[in-house]
Formats: sequence, C-alpha cells, structure tokens
Amino acid sequence: MAKSALILCMDVGFNMSNSGPGEESPFDQAKRVIQKFVQRQVFAETKDELALVLFGTDSTKNPLDNDDQYQNITVHRNLMVPDFKLLEEIENQIHPESQQADCIFDIALNVCVLVENTTIHKLDRRNIVLLTDLNSPVSSDNLDVIIENLKQADITLQFLPGQKRPRTEGRPGHGEAHHQLCMFKRIERRPMAWPCQLTIGSALSIRIVGYKAVTEEKLKKSWKTVDAQTNQKDDVKRETVYCLDDDNETEVQKEDIIQGFRYGSDIVPFSKVDQEQMKYTHDGKCFAVLGFTKQSSVQRHRFMGTQVIKIFPGKDDEHAAVALSALIQALHELQMVAIVRYAYDRRSNPQVGAAFPCIKQDHECLMYVQLPFMEDLRHFTFPSLENNSKFTPSDEQLSAVDSLIDSMMLVEEDEDGKQKDIFKVHDIPNPAFQRLFQCLHHRAVNPGTPLPAMESWLKATLECPEVIRERCQSALGEIKNKFTLTQVEKKKKLKTSAQIFGKDSDEPEAKKAKEDEADEEFNLADIAEGSVTSVGSVDPARDFRTLIRQKTLTFEEVCKQLTHRIEQLLGNKSTDYYMKSITCVEAFREQSVKLGNADLYNSYLQLLKSSIPTQGLESFWELLVQDGVTLISEDEVEGSTVTRNEARQFLVTERIEEAAAHPAEDPGDVDDLVRIVLL
Amino acid sequence: EGYGEQLPLKLGGATCVREERLTGRDSLVFLVDASKEMFIKGEDGAPSNFDMTMQVVRTVYTSKIISSHRDLIALVFYGTEHSKNPNDTFKHVYVYHDLDEPGAKRVQDVDALRGEKGAKLAAETLGCGPSSLGDALWCCANLYSDIKLRLSHKRLMIFTCREQPHGGDNVKDRQARTKASDLKETGVVIDLIHLMKPGGFDVSLFFRDIVSPPEDESELGLQLEPCEKLDDLQKRVRAKEQKKRATARINLCLGDGLNVAVGLYATAVTARKPPPVKLYRESNEAVRSKTRTFHTQTGSLLLPSEIKKAQTYGKKQIEMEKDEVDFIKKFDDPGLVLMGFKPMEKLKLHHHIKPSVFLYPEEGEIKGSACLFSALLKKCSEKNVYALCRCIARRNNPPRFVALVPQNEEVDDAKVQINPPGFNVIYLPYADDVRTLDLPRCTSASQEQVDKMKDIVTKLRFKYKSDAFENPVIQKHYRNLEALALDMMAPEEVEDLIMPKVEQIDRRLGSLVDEFKNLVYPANYNPESKPAAKRKTGAEKKPKVEVSMDQIKVHVQNGTLGKLTVPVLKEACKQFGVRTTGTKKQELIDALMDQLSS
Repeated sequence: MAKSALILCMDVGFNMSNSGPGEESPFDQAKRVIQKFVQRQVFAETKDELALVLFGTDSTKNPLDNDDQYQNITVHRNLMVPDFKLLEEIENQIHPESQQADCIFDIALNVCVLVENTTIHKLDRRNIVLLTDLNSPVSSDNLDVIIENLKQADITLQFLPGQKRPRTEGRPGHGEAHHQLCMFKRIERRPMAWPCQLTIGSALSIRIVGYKAVTEEKLKKSWKTVDAQTNQKDDVKRETVYCLDDDNETEVQKEDIIQGFRYGSDIVPFSKVDQEQMKYTHDGKCFAVLGFTKQSSVQRHRFMGTQVIKIFPGKDDEHAAVALSALIQALHELQMVAIVRYAYDRRSNPQVGAAFPCIKQDHECLMYVQLPFMEDLRHFTFPSLENNSKFTPSDEQLSAVDSLIDSMMLVEEDEDGKQKDIFKVHDIPNPAFQRLFQCLHHRAVNPGTPLPAMESWLKATLECPEVIRERCQSALGEIKNKFTLTQVEKKKKLKTSAQIFGKDSDEPEAKKAKEDEADEEFNLADIAEGSVTSVGSVDPARDFRTLIRQKTLTFEEVCKQLTHRIEQLLGNKSTDYYMKSITCVEAFREQSVKLGNADLYNSYLQLLKSSIPTQGLESFWELLVQDGVTLISEDEVEGSTVTRNEARQFLVTERIEEAAAHPAEDPGDVDDLVRIVLL
Repeated sequence: EGYGEQLPLKLGGATCVREERLTGRDSLVFLVDASKEMFIKGEDGAPSNFDMTMQVVRTVYTSKIISSHRDLIALVFYGTEHSKNPNDTFKHVYVYHDLDEPGAKRVQDVDALRGEKGAKLAAETLGCGPSSLGDALWCCANLYSDIKLRLSHKRLMIFTCREQPHGGDNVKDRQARTKASDLKETGVVIDLIHLMKPGGFDVSLFFRDIVSPPEDESELGLQLEPCEKLDDLQKRVRAKEQKKRATARINLCLGDGLNVAVGLYATAVTARKPPPVKLYRESNEAVRSKTRTFHTQTGSLLLPSEIKKAQTYGKKQIEMEKDEVDFIKKFDDPGLVLMGFKPMEKLKLHHHIKPSVFLYPEEGEIKGSACLFSALLKKCSEKNVYALCRCIARRNNPPRFVALVPQNEEVDDAKVQINPPGFNVIYLPYADDVRTLDLPRCTSASQEQVDKMKDIVTKLRFKYKSDAFENPVIQKHYRNLEALALDMMAPEEVEDLIMPKVEQIDRRLGSLVDEFKNLVYPANYNPESKPAAKRKTGAEKKPKVEVSMDQIKVHVQNGTLGKLTVPVLKEACKQFGVRTTGTKKQELIDALMDQLSS
C-alpha cells in the first residue's frame, strides 16, 4: 500500500496573532485546521506518517540549528504515525509566539528534507503543508526556485493557508479546505482481487478478477468492556455457564455438552464431527453460468446479499479481456443477464446471482448481485389499493400529489441542459461514523465533560435541502387541505400498560389530579366501611393501598399478600393478567417510596427478574420495561442500596443479555473475515 | 432458539419481537375432504385432488420446520368412515394430527398418505363415509380451545372438490354455517381451497357463507378459479399460509408534520442454517446458558454500573458509559423523512447494500394513510420517479437513506397476487460504502466476436423465476436432520439446483464454443492455466521474515505495527510472551500494544 509522509509546517510567529476585532486570528484558524486534519488521520488509522514543524517559535530546536541560521524553528514532532498524544499537544502546547521566521519556504524545504530522514521507512509520496498567513516576507522569484527544487526532490507542496490571503493565485481557499476537513476521512479499504474463471459449460472459460465494489462498510473496531474504576479491559472477565432448565438450575460442565439442532418440534443431537462429515460440500471458488435471462425478469427489489461485485478480465490478459468484452456487449445488446453460481471459496456457501453488463465510457465490466433462494422469500399478499373505493384518491388529490412531486425534484436541468443532482447520497459520509469519531475525540481531549451535540454541518447533510423545503411549501399546504389524516385512537392495542390504563404522560395534568382526588375519596370511603381486610383478587392494587393506609396490618404482611396475588396473576400467562400485575407492582413501588422502605420492593423485583426464564415471563417483563418500572434508587428513598444508574440499568441490561443469548450465526460467506486476516 | 425467532429479531428488532411475544403463536388447521371424489385421478394419470393436497400439506410442514417451527399445525379429515377425535364425540371426523409444532414424525405420516400407496392407506385408516362439515368445524373449534398456548393468528383451510358437501341437506348446511360463524367469531380465518371437479366449482352454492370475507372487500378471494394444477395449489396455499407481520410501524413524514403511517415488511430474508442447540450429554435435554461478567481479581460479579465501554484510537483508550454509547447512535426518533424525488434512472443497479423491504400503508394507525399513500404510489409510478427518504427503522439506529420505488399490483392468470401494491425500499450506499477501484485497461471485442457470443447467449436462454432455486446448503442440513430424526439409513439426496447443467449446456452450444474461442483466443492460449499458482509456490518458499524485538518496539512506539504481516505479528507475540486468543490482525496488534506500550 502506498505510504506517504506529510510535514505540517505551522507559522506560529507574531504575525499570526493579528486579527480584526471579533475575528478569529490566523493562528487560531491554522490550529483548528491542523487539529481537524490530525483527527482525521488518527481515526482513519492510516499508516501515513506525519511531522509537525513550528516556525516563529521563541526557542529553537531543529537539526540545522547553528549560530544564526535556522533560528526560531522547532521540530515539534518527527515523522511518525499521528496519535492522540499529538492531538493533546496541539490542544495544550501550541501557542502563538513572538518571533518571526524568515524565508519560510526555503527553510521549510531544508528542514523538511532533514525531518524526513528521521523515519526508517520508505515513502511513496511526500507532502509538505504550509500554514501561514503569508505575511512573512517572500519573493515570487524565490518561490519559483523553491518549487523547482521541490519537484526535483519529488515533494508536493500544498497550502492550507490562513484567511488573510491570497497573494498568489490558484490555491484552495480557506473555506473549502476547512469544509473538507470537517469530515472524518471516509473509510478506505484496499480492494482485494478475487481471481477466478467465468465458465459457460465445460469448454468455455474466461479468466476474470472480481472486486467488491459496493458494500456496507463497518468499522474495524468495536466497543470493549472495561472496568469502570481502573479502565482496564483485563479486569473484566465474561464467563458463560450452562445449566439445566430445572428448579435448581443445575450447572452442567462444558465437557458434558453436545450440540443438536431443531427439526421442528424435535431436537436432534448432531455432533460437530457428524455435521462436518455430512454437510454440503462443493468444489470451491466458482463463477459458473447457469443460463441467460432477460434483464427485466430479475427484479430490483429481489437483490439479496450485502454487496455488489465488479467482474473484470484477468489481470494483464488481453485475450480474457476480449472474451469478457464480447460477453458484456452481447448481454448489453440483448438486454440480458447471466444467472450464475458464485462461490467465494471452499469454505463459503455458494450463491445464485445475476451478472449484469455494465458499459461505461472508460471501462466495461460485469456487475454481480446475489439473488434469493426459494427459502428466503416470503409471499405476503396485501389488499389491493386500487380496487378499494375507500382508498382511491380523487383527481384533485392526485393533482396535489403531482405538484408536490414536481416541487420536490432533486434532479434538475441547468441552463445548458445538463442534469444536476442536488442530493447525492453516495457523496455523504456515513453519519454514524462521523458522530462516533466526534464523540470519541471529544472524550479523549476533554475528559470529564459531557458529549457534544451533533456538528451542524453533519445535521444539515441529513436534512431536506433548504431550496426544496421552501419550494414545496405551497404544494405541501395543498396536500394538507385535500387529504384528511387522523391519528387513530388505540383502543385495544397492547402497547404499554400505561396507555391501556389511561395513564399516558400526554394526559392533561388537571385530569390526572382529578383522578388522584377520586382515588383518595374512594379509599377514604373504603376505610370508613372497613370493608378491606386482605389483598383480594379483584383489584389487588387498590386493596393494597387501602390496607397500607389502614395500618391494621404490618407493611411486610401487606406486601406479602400483594406479592402472593401477583404470583397468582402471573401464573395465568395472559396479557390481561399481566396488566393487572403491573398495576400491582406499580402500587407496590409507589407505596414503598411513600413509606421510604425500598428493601422489600427491590428484593422482590430482583427475584421476579431472576425468575423470568424459568417462569416464561418474558412478555410480562417487556411490559415492565416499557413502563419503566424499575428498582427504587437511593435518590428516591434514602437507604436504598441501589444507585440511580443501577436502577436504570436494571431494565436495560435485560435486553442486552437477551441479544447476546441469540447470537446470529456468522454467514457462510467468510470473505470479509479472510480479507481482514490477509490485510 | 430456531431461526424462526431470529429472523424478526434481526430485522425488525424490538418492535417485532415484542409483537411476537405479546401475540403468541400462529396456527393453521388443514381440514381436508376425504370423500370418494377426492381420490378420483385426473386425466392421463394426473394425481388425484387428495394426492395433490397431501403434497401441499407436506410442503407446508417442511417449510414451517425450516422457517417457523413454533407455528402450530393440525391435519383433520372429514367425510371419513372411521372417526378419531377427542372422546370420539364426532362421527366421520378424523383428527390425523392435532394442533402442534410440526416434526419429523408428522412429515413421515403425511408422506404415507401420498401417491398410490397413500390412497390405499387412506382407504384403510380413514375410509369414506357421510360428511358433516358442521361436526368437522366443531371438532376443529375444540382443537383450538384445547390449546393452552396463546394463539395469535388462527387460520383454517378447507380443501375440497365438492361444492355441496351435504348434498343439499338443509339442516346439515345450516349447522355448518352456524359452526363456521362461531369459529370466525373467535378470530379464526376460514379459507376455501377449492379443487377442480368436472363442471366447475360453484362457490355460491354453499361455501360463500362458510369462508371468511376477504381482507380487502374486493372479493378477490371468491373469484378465484378452482385449483387444477399442483403449482397453483402450492401458490395459493403459500400466499395464505404465512402471516404477514410488519417488522416496524413508522411514520412517513412528507414535511411539516404531514405524516402517513406505514409498515415495513421483510419480504426476502436470507435463510440460514439455524444455530445449534446445546444439549446435556446424559439426557439430551437442552441447557440454558448464563453469561456473567465479573472482576478478574476479586471474582465478584460486576453490575452494569461497574463497567464501561472503550475503544482505542491513536494509542489512546477512550471510555464511555453504556448509555453514552447509545446516545451516540441516536440521531432521531424512528421514521421515514422525505427528502425529495428523483427520476428512476438515477437509481443505479450498484446502489445495493442489503435486501430491500416492502412498504405498505397502516390505515389502523393514521386514518387516511392508505389514500395519500395510494396517490403517492400512483403518481410516482406515472412520473417514473422514486422518493428519496431518510430512514430510521428502529430506536437508536443511525440513519440510512432509502429509495422508495413504486410497485403496482400484479396478479397472475389465476388471479393470485404476484406483486403487491406498495413501495420497495432500496437502501442506498454512503460514500464510505462505495470502494474506489483501479480500473484495468480494457480491450473491446469486435462486433464479430460479440455476435458469436450473442449466439451463445441466445442458445442458453431460460425463464428466470426468483423462487426456482433451493439453497443446497440448507436443504442438505435439513435432509441430514430428517434422516437422524427418523432413523433413516441415509439422508434423502438433495439436488443442487444451482449447479450448472454442464452436459446440457455443452450439447446445446455444440460447435459455437470452438467458433467463439477461435475468434477470441490464440491457438496456444489456455484460460485454465493459473499464473497465480506459480506465485503461490513462490510464497511458500519465501523465507520467514524476521523482525527483531527492537524493531517491534519502534513499531509499537510509532503505532506502525499495522505495517507488519500477520505471521510476523504472531511471531512477535510469541517472542514477547504476549498471550492472545485473537487471530485477526487487529487483535494481534491490540494485544501487542496493550503489553508493550505501557
């Protein structure tokens, strides 16, 4: 892979501190640009090396330092792969200084040639980037000489200049440079060649080479778990134990575990050895044509898999190029595609896919996309929209939609009749990566501070372009007038129990208060009659509250009665009973907080959680999670042993464990893995 | 868990799983007419209606085992001579399989009823007798009520070729209608799969009042012709047998608070071999796994609050709280947001990163959605444009841009829907997802060469159908399991449908291949020779690259370990005594960095 070296030369002399009132000084701008740039390099994990040389420093530290030459120049860092240490140094150690370095270009060149010698590696490309406001004296004659020298040394000179410039033409403006730098570098992967033969029958084969052209790129690194105190990964250990599904959860040793597979209701023991022996095997790497079919019979929405592979002729094989070109053009002219069997190698599962002809101005190739197997398809039937008079839009409605589409076209023709696409998705960097890097960088250089908001440029790229938004206003208004859209009130949809019981947070406060009042009165009436003596099954939560107010029984006793009822209700395994149980748990929580006694409730809820798998209470737990009914934290009741964070995590962790319990089997296609290993 | 559960989990995430949990199991009852008429063979020895039905039932059994083994299926015959049902309450109703998960044994049972032998067995065990559809439906109702599990979707399919099962007996007809409406009231959907009989099948004579009204009130269901071919029968059963479920229900925002409620449906999901189940050696019972996180030194369990998440970049480990990790992923609430429209030709073939999903309005969420959706669909299709949207399908998912491509409804000759009306959602690549390739210099073929290839292509034309290829890996896996489960001597052979039929191709092409080769390849050229093979042996002989410990240290300091190859890194780990379980390059680098940079 091409490795390059880059020397950042930053002018920190006094001239850089000059700025108009309210303006950012050239120094600050230059510093920001450098920071962004180094950040990009760090997160892209490039192997490119980088050095930083400061000009105009008060002190002098460079290999050419002698008497009066090369003064006020500091080699801050020799060529090496940039890291966070460098970022921290830039943040904290680089300040405007009071000297001025003369003949900056000339010096830069000489220093840089020397700095370059500090690396032990062979470099394919060398760059020098100069950040200065160019107020340092320089003559254009001199500049030409320097540029010539650089050319001879095979060094490229680039400017990332401050704002108060340019006296020379043809250099990138500051704004552009900065915008480019805002983004973290997009992920670049070296394409891995996949040499193979395209075969048609037994007698015709063409040497080809495939490259992954489009695929959903993932980050190489993932989150690791570390101890919160020491931040050490090694302090945390994960262990998986196995146990029988009996009351005692009897633990089973790993050696005593064999594997099996489900065949419908049967579980068939099937050892790894047997499986390996009996499994489907094939001859390995393959790109074999099964036949040809019309392009139109391969539907776009039936594309499967996660990648597009471009197929080129074998490397440096002119004959293969001609043969493949004949196939590509034949398919193109006939509007057909090849249906092929594709296998990456022996270890990966074979696929069926389509190879489309692709003819561009500068190249020809086949584009391979995976197609579905019969087992992948789900044949859902949906009610017709056209034949249903209720859903048929009127002509007026149709014309409103028509004008909306016209007003929101993202592709327009300019004066020259050229199409201009104002929203190219494939030019947008993956915002998830950008955001992650932004936050990681923030945490690294500003430890202990909350994570920042999303950067505004990133936010803007994800929004509908301003010009479209303005242009569609009237059409949108028209649609609002012509169509009636009403949110359907959910009657029986079991979304959250809160919704069912009308305790949605959207509910007006006044109404809630009123209900509370009613509740109060009702309970008072109960007490007066003395009708409640134990937690009954009809409305256990109400009885529970009443009994606690009556104080005739101890809190412990009432809680015991309530939990007993909850167990009974949960035994029914039905949503209605679950709902009832939730009101009980909520009442339990509410009264515990009121009385400042969290222990009974907390230990009960923990017990309940641990019994989920054995009792099959997953869906009940889901409801609790949705309603956010968690442990009582020390913030709510003094003396609770649970922190607020733990209380919050108590519900959250369940979901993670669940996800971990059903790991998705790694797809048979191992080429990604292979690629990483080979890299 | 089998993969029936896994699919929605992977696709729809939380929403879908919750839905499954809350709604319970799907169920399907096959109620099959076993009268004499069902056993009459077709012309030219074509299979009888009974035989066809059993083939379809078998297909459903095996496909359920693969795709949703937790669904419950029952097989009940009516019009039999013998009776078999709980307490034998009903005469002439034979419950062959009660409602349960399908397994290997059941597939075998159904197999036994197929073909010539099957007809014989049916005559012995079932026999033909008088029919009472009312009793049969009543019996099915009992099957449902005997189930302790919560059932979500309940479907009953009647297979018959008799338009009047009671021969005009009004009392029996009325009883059947009553029982049917009882069943429908409890949420059972009754379908009629009517089979061919001489003189056609008149649904209006009796069955119109038995079956459930079709979903869309367009009477699509009842206009169907009776099934004559196995293919049609398979298709029709398949279209009904899978309960469609949205993987997510979200709003499509056209702008300014104007929302259309839509559901996302996964219509194509890569089927995989299910993950193995762990069993206890002694008893073959499934074991549960519990994963615990604890402190290495103290051995105490770690609470979620006692751990953090970390990543290392630029030689620095950066820590975050777990909820901060979620916070970073969250961009917006789930939903589709319209950006604008583009002409269809702007959607390129290579804009593909994962299988598309299907979008259909959810009238039940926002009333009026179907109408606006329908207008949008119609106009997009007319103007040949697609809608570009930002899509967040689930909570804490980062956004993706998608193309909503209009799809008009399409039905085949038998009026079975092939393509439903709605939008296909195509996921679009970001800049990161498109790789820069060095384009090789290409030599173009001459028209003569192209024409010869056109002859070849034309000779090998076939009609592609997306459901024509079975996955040999999965089929083989299940054949193996089947053989083990049923103690068969050897698994049934699987035909690898994605293997090129080389002989057939060669025969069809004949001399064309040589003619083409003469046009493009020189005489001594052999495309099979692999220049790569040479290189390979060269690589093997290459002496191992030695890197000194000092050099490694320099690399660690400069963060340039990445320049070294995996074997060198492995060797370095050995030299420095760094223990690592990882084999990936990054893991080796991390291990070395951890050890040596501190």
